[in-house]
Amino acid sequence: MQERAEIRSKYWLALFLVAAYTVPFAVGIYTENVFFDLQWLADLTTVILNGIMQGGVYAMFAVGLTLIFGVMRIINVAHGELVMLGAYLTWMFFFYVGIDPLLALFITLPIAFCIGLLIQKLLLNAVVGGPELTPLLITFGLGLTIIHIVEAIFTTDYRTIPYAPDALQLTETIAVSKSKIISFVMAAFISLSVFFFLKVHRIGKAIRATAQNADVAMVCGINIFHIYMITSGLAAALAVAGGALVSIQFGFNPETGVLYTLQAFAIIVLGGRGHYIGALIGGVMLAVIESLISFMIPNGTAMVEIASYGMMVFVLLIRPRGLMGPKEN
Amino acid sequence: MAETEIALDIQNLKKYFGGIKAVDGCTFQVPKGQISGLIGPNGSGKTTTFNLLTGVLDADSGEVLYNGENIVGLKPYEVFNRGISRTFQITRIYREMTVFENMLSASSMKMPVREARERAEQLMEFVTLTKLRGEYGGNLSYGQQKLLEFARALMTDPELILLDEPAAGVNRTLLNNLLDHIHHLQEDQGKTILIVEHDMNVIMNHCEKVFVLDYGVKIAEGLPEDIQKNEDVIEAYFGHR
Ligand SMILES: Nc1ncnc2c1ncn2[C@@H]1O[C@H](COP(=O)(O)OP(=O)(O)O)[C@@H](O)[C@H]1O
Ligand SMILES: [Mg+2]
Repeated sequence: MQERAEIRSKYWLALFLVAAYTVPFAVGIYTENVFFDLQWLADLTTVILNGIMQGGVYAMFAVGLTLIFGVMRIINVAHGELVMLGAYLTWMFFFYVGIDPLLALFITLPIAFCIGLLIQKLLLNAVVGGPELTPLLITFGLGLTIIHIVEAIFTTDYRTIPYAPDALQLTETIAVSKSKIISFVMAAFISLSVFFFLKVHRIGKAIRATAQNADVAMVCGINIFHIYMITSGLAAALAVAGGALVSIQFGFNPETGVLYTLQAFAIIVLGGRGHYIGALIGGVMLAVIESLISFMIPNGTAMVEIASYGMMVFVLLIRPRGLMGPKEN
Repeated sequence: MAETEIALDIQNLKKYFGGIKAVDGCTFQVPKGQISGLIGPNGSGKTTTFNLLTGVLDADSGEVLYNGENIVGLKPYEVFNRGISRTFQITRIYREMTVFENMLSASSMKMPVREARERAEQLMEFVTLTKLRGEYGGNLSYGQQKLLEFARALMTDPELILLDEPAAGVNRTLLNNLLDHIHHLQEDQGKTILIVEHDMNVIMNHCEKVFVLDYGVKIAEGLPEDIQKNEDVIEAYFGHR
C-alpha cells in the first residue's frame, strides 16, 4: 500500500513539473508572446541558458541550507542574510581595497566559515535536538539583527558591482552575459568541491554519519558538536560564495537576503530536504521555470515569485520528500 | 586470590525517570582484565546502567571512576575516546552505510586513514563479515548487525567493552563465534568485558564474576555458582514478579 502511494506521489510530482514547464508556453501562446521563428527560438535558448546559469548559483547557496537541515534538523531562516552579507563583503573588498570579486573569495570564504562556526557555537549548539521552534526563532532573530546592522552601516541604498558586463556571443543570435557564465562555473566548482569533500574526506564522512544518526555517531566517538560547527561553517561559506556571485550580477540592499532565503527554501523543498544533489537539481529547475515565466508571460516578474512559492506549497502537498529527499515523515 | 585491579569503580549511581527509579544507588567494582556479567530481571536497570556508564544518559548522582577519573557527565564520544566502547541491546548501526563504512565511522580522527582501513579489514575478518563489506547495514540480519556493532566497538582498541545482551536474537553458531572472540579479547589482549545477558548459560559459563540488579539496586555479587544458589537472586527472578 505504502509503496503504491509512494509511486503515485512520484507521478504526481512529475506531472506537476511538466505542467509547471508547460504553463508559461501556453500562456505565452495565448497572449501572443510566442513566435515560431528562428529569432524567437534563439531568444528562448538564451533564456533557458541564463536560467541554468542562474540556477547553478541559487543551487549553491541552497545546498548550504539543505546541509544544515540534513545534519541538525534546523531550519535556518538567516541563510539569505549570509548571502546578503557575502554580497556586501565582496562589495567592500572591491571598492575599498580594490580586490577582484572572485579573488576576494579567498578572503571572504574563510571569514564566512568562521562566522558560521561562531553562530553555531554561540547560538545553536545548545539547542540542537531540542524543540524545533527554538533554533528557528534564534535564526529568525539573527537574520533580523544582521539586516539592521548592515542597514545601519550601509543604509538601504542599492549597491552594485560593475563586473564583466559584456556578453559572450555563442552563435550569431545567442549570447550569454560573461558574469553569468563566470558565476555559474564558480558555483559548479564550489558545490562539487563540497560534495566530494562530504563523500571522500573523513570529516565529510563524519558529517554524513552525524546527519544519518547523531546518537550512533556519538557512541562511535564523533564529537557531534564539532561536526555541527564545521557544517555551519561550510553552509555559511556556501551562502557567502552565493552572495559574491549574485553581487556581480544584480544590485542588492540589506533586505535582498530575505528573498534568497525564500528562494533557497523553495529549492530544497523541490529537491528534497537534506538532499545535496537534490538541491543542485532543484536550483536549476526552479531557475529555468522562473526565466521561462518572465520571458513568456506578460508582467512575468511578478509571476515569478508566485511561481516559486506556489511550487514549494504544491510539492509539500503532493510529495513532501521532493525529488530526492529521504522517506521518513 | 590476589587483589585484582579495578577497571570501573561505580559509586552510588542513580537515575530516576520521573517516578521510576531505574538505577537507585548502585555500587559495584568491575575487575580489570576479566569477563564480568551484569544480570537481573527485565526492567531492573541494566541497560540504564550501561547508558549512564557511557554518557548516553546523564546520571542524577553518583560517580564512576575510570583510571582515577570520574566519567559521569562526559559526553558519549568523550567516554568512547577514553577507551570505553559498547554495543546496544537494540543494535545501533548506520543502516544507510555499508558494513565497511560503519567500521570506519568508529575510527578516531587521530588514527591514520590507512591504519583505520587495515584495522577495519582485520576486524571484519575476525567476525566473518568480510564478504558483506559492501552491504548496507540495514540489509544485514539481526545477528549480523550485532556482529558488526561488536566489531565496530573494537575499532579503536578499547580497554573496556560493554556488551548489552549480545546473545539475544543471535543464532547458536554466531553466538559461539562471538563468545570465542570475547574470550580471545580477554585472554590474549587483557581487555575488560562487562556483559549484560539474559541467557544464563552465557553468564554461568563465561563470566568470572556476576553482579545482580533488582529495581535498580545491586542485590548480590560473586562467582556464578554462588549467585545461582543465592536466595535473594532466586527471589528476585522468581519471587515477586
Ligand atoms: N528513557 C526512559 N524513560 C523512562 N523510563 C525508562 C527509560 N529507560 C528505561 N526506563 C525504565 O527504567 C527501568 C529500567 O530499564 P532498563 O534499564 O532498560 O532495564 P533492563 O535493561 O534491566 O531490562 C524500566 O522500568 C524502564 O521502563
Ligand atoms: Mg536492557
